[in-house]
Amino acid sequence: MSSTAAAATIDHHHDPSTATGIPNKKLLMWAFLASDCMFFGCLISTHLIYRLHPPPGVPAARDVFSIELTSFSTFILLMSSLMMALAVNAIQKGNLKSLRACLATTILFGAIFLGCQVYEFSHFVSEKHLTITSNILGTTFYTLTGTHGLHVLIGVIWLASMLAYSFTGRLTEKDSIDVESMGLYWHFVDIVWIVIFTVVYLLEYL
Amino acid sequence: MTHAAAPSGHALEQSKFELFVEIAMLLAVITGIEIITVYLPFAKGLLVGALVAASVVKFLFVIFIFMHLRWDKAFCTVLFFIGLILAGGTMWALVQLFGAAASVPLSSP
Repeated sequence: MSSTAAAATIDHHHDPSTATGIPNKKLLMWAFLASDCMFFGCLISTHLIYRLHPPPGVPAARDVFSIELTSFSTFILLMSSLMMALAVNAIQKGNLKSLRACLATTILFGAIFLGCQVYEFSHFVSEKHLTITSNILGTTFYTLTGTHGLHVLIGVIWLASMLAYSFTGRLTEKDSIDVESMGLYWHFVDIVWIVIFTVVYLLEYL
Repeated sequence: MTHAAAPSGHALEQSKFELFVEIAMLLAVITGIEIITVYLPFAKGLLVGALVAASVVKFLFVIFIFMHLRWDKAFCTVLFFIGLILAGGTMWALVQLFGAAASVPLSSP
């Protein structure tokens, strides 16, 4: 029996062995993501509150931000989400070669996003003199986007670990829940950025 | 019933590839429209509404398609939306609190 045929017999969305019918690892990840929503909600609220009453002397965010670079980062992260979804699809079909290619591409896109963020931060510090302690804009901006960047970094390390693990021969379509849980985390990083891109960046240009 | 369900499930897996690519392209197009929107000479309230709507659409596409909520048990959706509603409620409450006239800092212009 081919691996593809074997994969077709596995129901990847339901697990009859658990009380909820949901694989425990997936349930754990969804619970974690729900709690992380509240974490990022508080950070985004802090930035919105700053925008309500910006103190005197704080530079206008639109004079600091680069919409071109951020748009490019956003596009890269969206495409990384596509590659992650294809990676999950590949492991569910037992296609390890495709899984590795998709994971490697997702890692590359994640690294590009992080590189853009490092460049953005260093540019803001050196050229715009915006540090985390210089004013309230710097504090809320670096805390929010830095925390998101840390999530991306953790995701990239997790992806790289999974890619390395796939070469051991122990990763099969039966372990697809491990890749799917990792994928949920990566997509969450993407949806948080969708909100940050609009709330922190685009609204400043209106 | 199992035999009838298997081919449709397999066909679903086959069609997911095309679906994911289409959704990704749609997300890229919506992002492009968002970027153009900020330069349009319309009322600020209208533009804010359009940007928020576009973000919500992108958000929903990612969670229901890429994160498989569309095919998973409803409990996953309920669990995630509990966190989402709590986060959204907290954000709304904080913005309302700090948006009140009595909350304006004395140093604010």
